[in-house]
Amino acid sequence: MIIARDVHRIYGVGNASTHALKGINLEIEHGEFVAIMGRSGSGKSTLMHQLGLLDRPTSGQIFIEGQDVLKMSIGERAQFRLERLGYVFQEQSLINELTIFENVYLPALCLNNGRDYRKKARELLEIVGLGERLDHYPSETSGGEQQRVAIARALVNEPHTLFADEPTASLDVESSIVVLRLFKKLNRELNQTIVMVTHEPDDEDYVDRVIRLKDGLITQDTHF
Amino acid sequence: MKYYLDKTKHIARKQLWSGFKTAIFLAFKSTLRGNRWALVLIVIVLSFSFVNLVFVSSLIAGVITSMDNQVVNAMVSNVVISPEEDDYYLDDVENIEATVLQLPEVAATAPRLISSALIEYRWKEKVSQSDKGKSGTWEVVGVDPLKEEDVTIIHESLIEGSYLDPDDRDQILLGIEIAGREQAVTSEFLTLGGVHAGDKVRLTYPNGIQKEYTVKGIFRAREMMRVDHQAYVTRKELSSVLDRHVFYDRASEILVKTREGVSEPSVIAKLQEMGVPGQIRTWDEYGGSMRGVMSTFEIIGGLIGGVGLVVAAAVMFIVIYINVIGKRRQIGILRAIGIPQRSIIVSYLLQSLFYVVMGVILGWLLVQFVVEPYFRYYPLDLPTGLLSLTVEWPTMLGTVMGLFIAGVLAGLIPAYTIMRQKIIKIIWGN
Repeated sequence: MIIARDVHRIYGVGNASTHALKGINLEIEHGEFVAIMGRSGSGKSTLMHQLGLLDRPTSGQIFIEGQDVLKMSIGERAQFRLERLGYVFQEQSLINELTIFENVYLPALCLNNGRDYRKKARELLEIVGLGERLDHYPSETSGGEQQRVAIARALVNEPHTLFADEPTASLDVESSIVVLRLFKKLNRELNQTIVMVTHEPDDEDYVDRVIRLKDGLITQDTHF
Repeated sequence: MKYYLDKTKHIARKQLWSGFKTAIFLAFKSTLRGNRWALVLIVIVLSFSFVNLVFVSSLIAGVITSMDNQVVNAMVSNVVISPEEDDYYLDDVENIEATVLQLPEVAATAPRLISSALIEYRWKEKVSQSDKGKSGTWEVVGVDPLKEEDVTIIHESLIEGSYLDPDDRDQILLGIEIAGREQAVTSEFLTLGGVHAGDKVRLTYPNGIQKEYTVKGIFRAREMMRVDHQAYVTRKELSSVLDRHVFYDRASEILVKTREGVSEPSVIAKLQEMGVPGQIRTWDEYGGSMRGVMSTFEIIGGLIGGVGLVVAAAVMFIVIYINVIGKRRQIGILRAIGIPQRSIIVSYLLQSLFYVVMGVILGWLLVQFVVEPYFRYYPLDLPTGLLSLTVEWPTMLGTVMGLFIAGVLAGLIPAYTIMRQKIIKIIWGN
C-alpha cells in the first residue's frame, strides 16, 4: 500500500519558484492499476517522482508498505528502489552497451537475492514476447520492443509497485496497445501494483482507477 | 540482538559484494561494447604520455650514464691512487702496483706520470719570438702503453694513426681538442688548428727542456672535459725528460681497474687496510664537476616530467570526462532503477584504470621495442659520448604511479560530480 499525506513539491525559491504539488493526499492499494492523468504541467510526473522515490517532496509524508520512505538515507532509498520498485520511463531507458537479456537481469544481479536471475530474466522476456531476442542490443529493436524490455527489467526483482511515466508517449498506436495489454496482463495475473502517468484518454480502458490532477491538486479520483 | 546485528552485517557484506560485482559487470560491458574510438584515443593518448615521460627522464639518465662511462673508461678507470696532499708524486710505484694487484677484485693497474708542456705546431713558420703561432699549453701524460690498454680506452679511440708502443720515445698521441679538427668541439684558434698523424710538434716542458715529437696518432675518447685535451707519451719518455734517475719509479697517479660488479668503496677499504699509500678515490669523485651539472639536469628533467604528467592527467581527465558526461542520462537511469552510487562510481573508476593499464602496456611496449632499441642502434653522437636511453625502473614505476593516480581522479571526479546531482535533473535535465 502507498500512502501520500499532504505532499508538497516546490521547485526553486522566491519569485521564481513553482508550486508543482499543493498538498496531495492519496492511498493506493496493493494490486491496483492506477492512472495519474492531467494536462501538461498539472504535476502528474512530479507526483510519480515523489511516490517512486526519484525526488524528495518539499513537505509531506509518503509511506510504502508501511515504511516512512522520506526518512531513508540516499543509500537506503536506492536499495528500496532496487528491491521494491520498478520503473518504465517515457523515452529509451535501456543501457546501450548491454543486450536485452543483460539489461533485464542487471537489477537482479545487483540485488543478489539468491534467486536465479538469468532464469527469471528469460521468463520475463518470454512474457513480454521477446524470448527469442535475448542477445539483441537495444539499438536493434523498435521503440515498442524497448519499452517491453524496460517492463521486464522493472519486474525482475518482483517489485511492490511498478511506476510507468507515460510509457506509450513515444510509441505508435499498435505498440502502445501491446504495452498497455501487457500492463493489464501483469496486473491481473501477477496482482502487480502499477502506477502509470498518462495523458492518453484511451488508456483509461485498461486501468482500475484514474486520479486526475490539475495545478498540483487532485481534482478527481475515479475507481472503475 | 546479536543475531540481528550479525544478520545486518551479513546483508551489508552481501550488498557490498553484489555492488562490486555490478560495477565490474558494467565496467567490463561498457569498455567492451562502448565507443571503440574513444577507447583507442584514450589508450593512445596515455601511451604517448607514458613514452614522453619515460623518454625525457631516460634521456637525462642516458646523458649521466654516458658521462659516467666516459669518466671510468677514458679518464680514471674505477679507482685512483694519488699522492698525499703535500706530495706531487707517488714513489715506489712498482711495489704499490704489486700490492694492489694482490687483491682478487682488482683486474689491472696503470701508473701515469703527468706534466704539462707548451705544444707548438708549425713553429718554424713563426716570424718572431713573440709570435704565438699555433701553440698552447696542455697536460702531457706519460703512460705504460700495455698497462694503459687494460684500464682505459685510449688505444681504441684513435681516429688517425696508431697507438704507442712501449719503447716509443719521440712519438706522441694528441687528443682531438689539441689537434683541432672538424670533430673537435673547441674553437679552432684554441687548438693547434688541424694536426695530422705524421706531423711534427714541439714540446717545451716546465723544466725548460724542449723536444720535437712525431704525432703517432690522434684520439677522440669523447671525454671532452679532460681526456681529449691531453697528449700521451710513454712514461719512459716523460720520466727521462723530467729526470730519469728520479722519476723512473714515480707516478702522478695509479689507475686501478676493478673486476665487473665489484663495489669500489670496498676495494678502497681493502687497499687502505693493506697500507697502500696516498689518497685513494673512486671515479665518482672525479666526475664531481659533472655531478653538479647533472643534478641540475635531473631537477629540470623532474620538472619536465612533472609538467608532462600534469598534461597527461589533464588530457586523460578531459577525454574520460567527456565520455562520462556523454553517459549522463544512462547514469541517471542506473541510479533510478536502484543501482547503488558506489557501484556506478567504481564502474567508471575501473574503466579509467583499464585505460591506464592499456596505455601503460602500449607505452611500455613502445619504449621497450621501438624507442629504446632505436637509440641503441642510432645513438646520439654527443661530445660527452654516444648517448642512448637509460630506462630506469624507478622512473618507470614513478610514471606508472603518476598515471594511475591521474586515472583514478579522471574516473572518480566526473562520476562523483554527476552523483551529487538529483536523479530527475540527470535524466530529464530539470
